[in-house]
Amino acid sequence: MNLVRIGNVIAAELDKLRTLPAATLTALGTILTGILLAAALAAADQHVEATATTVTLRSVPFVQVGFVLLGILPMAHEYTGRQIRVTLSAIPRRSILLAGKITATALTLVLTAAVTGAASTAAAALTLRSLGAFREMTADDLWHLAGTTCYLTLIGLISHAAAVLVRHLIPALVSVLGLILILSPLLAGLTEHARWLPDRAAAQVYDPHDTMLTAGTGLLVALAWIVLIAATGATRFIRRDP
Amino acid sequence: MRPFNTVAAELRKATTLPAVWAGIAVALFGSAAITLINAFSTRAALDAGHPEARAFTSPFETAFAAMPLGTVGAVVIGVVIFSSEYTAHSVEVGGGRQITATLAAIPHRHTVLAAKATVTILLVVILAAITMPVTVGIARLVIGSAGAETVPLDDAVERCLGGAVYWALTGLIALAITVLTRSGIIPLIVLIVSNSLVSVSLLLTNLTPLAHWLPDMAGRRLFGGLHTVEGGLDALPGALVMTGWAILLLTIAAVVLRRRDA
Amino acid sequence: MIQIDGLSKRHGSRTVLSDVSFHALPGRVTGFLGPNGAGKSSTLRILLGLDRPTAGSALIGGRPYPSLRTPLRTVGSMLDGSGAHRSRTARGHLGWVARSNGIPKHRVGYVLEQVGLAGAARTRVGRFSLGMGQRLGLAAALLGEPEALVLDEPVNGLDPEGIRWIRTLLRGHTDAGGTVLLSSHLMSEVAAIADDLVVISGGQVVAAGPVAHVTAGYATLEDAFFGLTGGPGAGEER
Repeated sequence: MNLVRIGNVIAAELDKLRTLPAATLTALGTILTGILLAAALAAADQHVEATATTVTLRSVPFVQVGFVLLGILPMAHEYTGRQIRVTLSAIPRRSILLAGKITATALTLVLTAAVTGAASTAAAALTLRSLGAFREMTADDLWHLAGTTCYLTLIGLISHAAAVLVRHLIPALVSVLGLILILSPLLAGLTEHARWLPDRAAAQVYDPHDTMLTAGTGLLVALAWIVLIAATGATRFIRRDP
Repeated sequence: MRPFNTVAAELRKATTLPAVWAGIAVALFGSAAITLINAFSTRAALDAGHPEARAFTSPFETAFAAMPLGTVGAVVIGVVIFSSEYTAHSVEVGGGRQITATLAAIPHRHTVLAAKATVTILLVVILAAITMPVTVGIARLVIGSAGAETVPLDDAVERCLGGAVYWALTGLIALAITVLTRSGIIPLIVLIVSNSLVSVSLLLTNLTPLAHWLPDMAGRRLFGGLHTVEGGLDALPGALVMTGWAILLLTIAAVVLRRRDA
Repeated sequence: MIQIDGLSKRHGSRTVLSDVSFHALPGRVTGFLGPNGAGKSSTLRILLGLDRPTAGSALIGGRPYPSLRTPLRTVGSMLDGSGAHRSRTARGHLGWVARSNGIPKHRVGYVLEQVGLAGAARTRVGRFSLGMGQRLGLAAALLGEPEALVLDEPVNGLDPEGIRWIRTLLRGHTDAGGTVLLSSHLMSEVAAIADDLVVISGGQVVAAGPVAHVTAGYATLEDAFFGLTGGPGAGEER
């Protein structure tokens, strides 16, 4: 019976995302941006032994912004009006509500990330082929593609956790973008401890370059951050009056 | 008298918005924290006798590395000063959006926009006047006499002024884009991204030199110092181009604001 | 049946509700009256599990709202308008609400028809008038064919035709054995529809019972209201 109930909650949350224009536009816009960027980067990189995969990896820091928004919207749109009341009266058990919301968000993120990665790689491959600079892809390339899907999903989940914590769109957007685009590169230039930041740790999944963290431990550090932030937000969400 | 009243009203509205204070806090405390970390690392390198491990040891450069956070603060201020007008309220607190009340009080929409632009500049300049001396002070205090100041005073003042101008222009561009989109999402993303290392305009400069004329690329030499990419416009022409962008976007915003229904 | 027993709510040192008790019975419309800030919304928010009481209990059919597995099939509610996100369509809003409680999809079209919004099903909620938003909120309340209806200011923004329609709707609901708890500060509306009254003032119940019992000794319900809540005109009529 509980399984049916959480199933209903996940289905309802997916319905919410599907019928929210901002969410569908963000997902489609992110995929399109990935394709355009991959084509442009492939054209720019054709002389430096680029493969469709290296080009896609280069586009990740740009398309991640779409995943930040896609992770924040499912929570933040509840608070742009009074929808949270309707949501809570439909699903009064807040722990089940949050579990369903996080699952639905994660599903949406994984799907969008996989499509973005595949579409970007295809666009890069086509561009390289038309310029006569195509190189055959190997099994390694598939792993890199899986890595980007994983990284983009993690970035989305970090953003979702931040949104569970701060609830409103603008503060969530500013803090996550500020962290991954401004603070994290700044700190990386200043101290080696920056590797423990959630986005830096997650980046090991698709671009392992750190001397200490591997793809596996990087993933664990990022997941630990997500659990920590989401649990703090969830505690408040479950205990306090909305 | 009326323009003054409008500015005073808008200033009051802005300073009673928690989001504006959050933007100020991000800029001030964020920069201070970054400067602190940076300065301690520099101090440690100097004490260990390895100044070459750092890109620079000057307290001023150390503090100036935190400038991008101030830009984020300016963007937040520019965005929320307008996006707050369009937040839908609960029926319990009267319903509707603040823009209705604003336009009922001051029906002349250009005056409203001009007042909001003035308030944005005012807040950002005050923010710069506090943040910059505070961060430089922190860097000096931590690094102390260990690191020689290689940036002469007149140079430092010039770069602070340049940085303040860049922040204010970014705040105005944020305001103008928010008027057009009525929501903070797009301007926040566009402007935070364009002030980061993954700046799209920076990427575009690889494809076409025209990208150097985009607002963020044109204005970046206002900060002076080491962190600039080769090529592009010099500080003064760059500042003029960026100002041109701000004026252009505000003009478009003014036209759109007057023509559309609130 | 809705049972409120000894409900208290404090925000820090401020007491919002103190020892509020009343019942809303099946087959009857219970009007919940009180001036602004008297504690009507707080009571309803606690009843619907949005806020937690400091003490006491609020039960629907003997169970607290948060323990209901599919609450919308037991209680339909509307607080503060529809609550729908501005950029969603009416159908999109009702669609996810139905899904969350496993309510069959055909109910969405049915309730849209029932509240007179069938023509606006694909319109974004941000374009709705106040009255249309109110109708959408009622549609969501009716979605799960609930036994009880909890409505906060349901006639707010409705035109005269809409007000008549809602009276008929609520009467039909109670005639079929349902429970209706309706809060309002519009005296004439409540007088026209309620069977029982609960009057709240300053976070305390000052009168409860059948309409005739509560208004006994006053010329009109309005006089009774001011007399009981200590508002302007208090004591003039007695």
